[in-house]
This record gives sequence, structure tokens and C-alpha cells, in this order.
Amino acid sequence: MIAYDKEMLKSYLVVVPAYNEEEHIAKVVRGIRESNVPADILVVNDGSTDGTSERARLAGAMVLDMPFNIGYGGAIQTGFRFATEFGYEFVVTIDGDEQHSPYSVKDLIEAMQREKADVVIGSRFIGGNYHMGVFRKIGVSLFSRVALLFTGTNFSDPTSGFQLLNRKIFSYLAEGDNYPLDYPDVNIIIALHKMRFKVVEAPVKMMEKQGKSMHQGLRPLVYVLRMFLAIIMVLLTKKAGRHDL
Amino acid sequence: MTFSIRLFIFLCGLFLFVAIFELVRRKKFREELSLGWLLVGLCLVFSSFADLIIDPLAFKLGVHYPPTLAFIIVVILLVLVMLYFSVAVSDLKSRNKELSQKIALLEYKLSRLYRGKEDS
Repeated sequence: MIAYDKEMLKSYLVVVPAYNEEEHIAKVVRGIRESNVPADILVVNDGSTDGTSERARLAGAMVLDMPFNIGYGGAIQTGFRFATEFGYEFVVTIDGDEQHSPYSVKDLIEAMQREKADVVIGSRFIGGNYHMGVFRKIGVSLFSRVALLFTGTNFSDPTSGFQLLNRKIFSYLAEGDNYPLDYPDVNIIIALHKMRFKVVEAPVKMMEKQGKSMHQGLRPLVYVLRMFLAIIMVLLTKKAGRHDL
Repeated sequence: MTFSIRLFIFLCGLFLFVAIFELVRRKKFREELSLGWLLVGLCLVFSSFADLIIDPLAFKLGVHYPPTLAFIIVVILLVLVMLYFSVAVSDLKSRNKELSQKIALLEYKLSRLYRGKEDS
């Protein structure tokens, strides 16, 4: 168990990117509050056309309203910018569709303290039984192998958006084009590894996705191709060191 | 090339060139973005006399049907123009993202400021 003290209260920010999630967002915010995570909650309303913003605000979250939809990565980066400006020490990213269980945040915090890591990625596969579509499964396994090849570490769930990052990392990712607009996944893991930061995994609980998904139709194929291009670009980029941050 | 075709291509090129020039003059088309299209217009104007250069060049390169060479040149030019615009769109997308993030943060700070004033 982690002992939360008052000093920690202002140091955690939970960033929840949300696009047209009026059905889920209030439950997500309430879930985070009920899980007793000592954190402020920021919902980044990514240009929703429904009542996402209002419901998040009524549930007690701080809300940033993007003027239009800029994409999942762009919304998270806005959260990183907010955390950088308002002096937070750690950021947890949680999806706004109730997929990630807020009760697992404490597991991420524990893993960061135990492993002295810079980033902890929540894995739905460690010690869990998570079912997903065939294409998604192939994609995850493919990117796991790619991550293993370039980092030497086995990431069972490199596409997970449930993460905990320390200030050094998120303040770097908050700048310019350091974070992709669409899907920040294994490319970011490889980039951070290249910069000699410690990225580890911790088991988390995730609900199986119902209904619409970002990874449907032809998108998985386009996604895989884009990710490979992004990985090649990361590998070709001049090697940056921790001193660059 | 017959005189009528030569005149037709010349007028098309001239029309394109003048139209773009006019758009730039009325500030409806940014100068730096119009350069590629002005070049295409100019090439079209000169292409009405292109057979004088292209025919001997095509035979030298072993192209049996000279208009093919003209098409290849035009396609290359158009691809370059499109590439230039894609780069411009990418740049705009980055700036758009920066602006939208700054607006969202500023709006949040403003609302906090107003709320603070109302409370006090």
C-alpha cells in the first residue's frame, strides 16, 4: 500500500482525453475520485459536439475545451502542457470511455516508486485475461516484438494509453512536435528508451471495449503502416540524451 | 503543331498566369504559395512553342512519340506543386495544433480569473 501524504496532493494530475463521451465521462471522473487517488482531474474535451464538457465539469473535473478536434495525441499533449504550466510532478493518462479502471492508478504509482521508473505503462495482459479482435491482437503482438527488438525490454501492451509519467518526461513531450497528434504508442516508448529513460510496465485492469473503437475498418492497417513510419523516423532522429531535457 | 493548337495552349497558359497574378494582387492568394502555380502557367505559355525544343529532345532521348515527353514534364511539375502544398498543409496543421492548445489553456485561465473576481 502507498501512504499518500498531503505533500503529494498537488503532485498528481489525471489527464482524461475525451471526444463525444457524454455517456461515460461523468462515470470516469467519479470513478477516479472514488478510487482515492490523490490527484486533480483534467478532462481535455477534444472538440466534442455533445455534452462531454458540461458533464465532466458537473462531475467535478477541471475541463479544457479544445476549439476543434485535434486528435487523441494532441489532446493528451494539451494535458501535458497544462501539467507543465501548473507545476504538477506526475501525470496519469486515462481514456474517457471507461476502459481503464481508475483503481489501477495506485498500481502504476507503486510500480514507479518501486522501479524508480520515469514512465509506467499499464498493461492489460500481465496477469489478466483480456479479449480483443484478431487484427488488434496481431498489431499488439507485432509492436511488442518491435519494442523488444529496439529496447531489449518485453512490453506486453505497448499500445496502452493508461500511463504514468514523471515531470521530466511529460514536460519534454509537451513541447512542439515531441508528441504525435494521432496515436502515441510504441514510437514514444522507443524514443524515450533511446534517451535512456526508464520505461516499465505494470498490470492494470481494463474493461473490454464495447461499441465504437479507434481501431476498426481499414484503420488498423493504416495505423500499422503509420506506426512503422513513425518508428523509422524515431530511429533515424539524432540521438538525444537525458541532458537535452 | 498547327497554329490554332499553338494559339490555344498559349492562351490557356496566359489565362492561368494572369488569373494567378490577379489573385495575388488582390491578396487572395499568398505570394509564396503562388510561385509554383505561376511557374506552371509560364511553362504552359512556353509549351505552345515546346515542339521546337521537345521534338529534337525526344528523338535524342529515344522517345518515339514526342508529346509523351511533354506529358512527363507536365506531370513532374504538377507532382512538385502538390508536394509543395502538402508540406504547406503539414506546417499549417502543426501551427493549428499549437494555436488550439494555447486557446484552450488561455480560456481555462481566463475562466479561473473571472471566477476568482466573482468570488472576491
